[in-house]
Amino acid sequence: MTYNSLQFFPFFAIFLLLYLLMPRVRLRQIVILAGNLIFYVLAAGTDMLVILIGTSLIVYAAGRAIGHIYSGYEAEKEGLSPKEAASLFSGYKKRAKKYLLAAFFLILGFLLYTKIGKLFDFKETAKISGLLHGGTILVPLGLSYYTFSSIGYLLDIYWKKAKCEHDYFKLLVCMTYFPHIVQGPIGRYDKLLKQFGALPGFSYERVCFGLSRMLWGFIKKMVIADRIALYTGAVFSSPDEFAGFEIFLAVMLCAMELYADFSGCMDIVIGAAKTMGITLDENFRQPFFSKNAAEFWRRWHITLGAWFKDYIYMPLAMSPRFMKTCVSFRKKHGNRAGQIFSSAIPLAIVWLLTGLWHGTGMDYVVWGIYWGTVIILGTVLAPEFKKLTTKLSIDTESFGFRLFQMTRTYLLFVIGRMFTVTGSLEGFGKLVFGLFREHRFWTVFDGSLYQHGLDYKNFCVAVIGILAIWISDMLGARMHIRETLSKQPLVLRWLVYYGGIVVLLIFGMYGESFDASNFVYGGF
Amino acid sequence: MRNRVKQVLADNYPEIDFEASTELVDDGILDSLTMVGIISALSMEFGIVLPYEDILPENFNSIDAMVELLEKYI
Repeated sequence: MTYNSLQFFPFFAIFLLLYLLMPRVRLRQIVILAGNLIFYVLAAGTDMLVILIGTSLIVYAAGRAIGHIYSGYEAEKEGLSPKEAASLFSGYKKRAKKYLLAAFFLILGFLLYTKIGKLFDFKETAKISGLLHGGTILVPLGLSYYTFSSIGYLLDIYWKKAKCEHDYFKLLVCMTYFPHIVQGPIGRYDKLLKQFGALPGFSYERVCFGLSRMLWGFIKKMVIADRIALYTGAVFSSPDEFAGFEIFLAVMLCAMELYADFSGCMDIVIGAAKTMGITLDENFRQPFFSKNAAEFWRRWHITLGAWFKDYIYMPLAMSPRFMKTCVSFRKKHGNRAGQIFSSAIPLAIVWLLTGLWHGTGMDYVVWGIYWGTVIILGTVLAPEFKKLTTKLSIDTESFGFRLFQMTRTYLLFVIGRMFTVTGSLEGFGKLVFGLFREHRFWTVFDGSLYQHGLDYKNFCVAVIGILAIWISDMLGARMHIRETLSKQPLVLRWLVYYGGIVVLLIFGMYGESFDASNFVYGGF
Repeated sequence: MRNRVKQVLADNYPEIDFEASTELVDDGILDSLTMVGIISALSMEFGIVLPYEDILPENFNSIDAMVELLEKYI
């Protein structure tokens, strides 16, 4: 079962009805947990659920152990000066580190094993017993997402930025929460746990907001992304057969396809959570309106970027050993060089790891290096760019310059996507070569462009869909769309809702026997 | 102490007005890259290493907050 499969609709309808009927918080938590477990078993199987529950037990035990050690510190630090307390804390931290590392060894070790296994083409198994055979890996649904959230949760406790959860049931509800288990957003458990502890009762407005957001998500995924995928899939699966404009169109469309797919899924899951009164973190904020690559990555897959910033970039940049190196580098080469060094080295490591998180093939390694280089150069050369625009008297606030920046961001994203979209660097080479081999503009006029999965009418639907996403993003940057809609007259509101349902029913891509296509980011 | 911190910040980031806000991080005036640069500069000036658990937005929201943090370790 995926969020856009036929089984999901009755599952969610029954679940929501039961949930909304529950009079108390504990009962609502029980319904959510039951929903989580049913969803996970139907989507991934019982063996995968066993791994997920096992992980939750490890996370809970490690969190409690660290919390218990720190409670000793809290009692002992009474009456000490801040300096003495800091010194005392380092001793407690050493003890807590053992539990942290043990939990990391188990949960991160499992993730690394699956990643390395994928690199060596290990066979995937769906059974725990299958792991006993050599050369096999088991990849539980949402493994990367819940592992990252769990690591963040434990590190927050270790750094005393969050308190450990004492109620295992609540932690299990939060960890297995079906709206975010498949492809995020990568939640902060400490924030979510507070919400699960105070689940609100029924609210007409909240349920309407949630359902309308889900509807928009389904349209983005099933009407737009899956439609574009028919054409891009045909081109990227055999790039040798295409050239010039055909490839140019596919690479330009694949950026919008991924955006519609991933942000569509986020609309579905954030909307689903909203109906229950849970606010999940936003993962997108009009990313293609960004002025540069660094801003783009603050607005695209926001929770992954925030995770890497908080748990890799900052700890790495702040580590005593690296800080000492930075200080000596700064003394030798001056402030400017020191600033560049202290930010560029951790950024390079973060981008290499971000690439490896997305996939273990060389194409993803190159993808990570590409983005790391673009962002580091953008940061390092920012003062020079500023001088240049001042010298050339360019109005950086003008509409023309903003349009140039947005187009540049889109093209940077498209180039990055080209590295991985065929599944290999060889495929990337074929795309680049094919792009310049011949122009093939005639395919637009002789109709042959419309023989690769998408006919002319479906192309038109896809283009209208893309325009709708752009308009929605433009409006979304200025106002809260659903709130504004909710203030409109009843007839207009329901015309929009019914219109959306009709669009979904008529133009949704269902495939044979409603074989719902998977979400792209579900694979991570 | 406050003047020393102010001088370090002015030397490294002359384009930022650190007195303009008491919510420097929360207002988005300081991003993570700038924070790393500031911590590196302060570490060099005062010869200390700040533990990661103290790298919180509230400790960098103003010059006074930074001074208070540094005084814990000097």
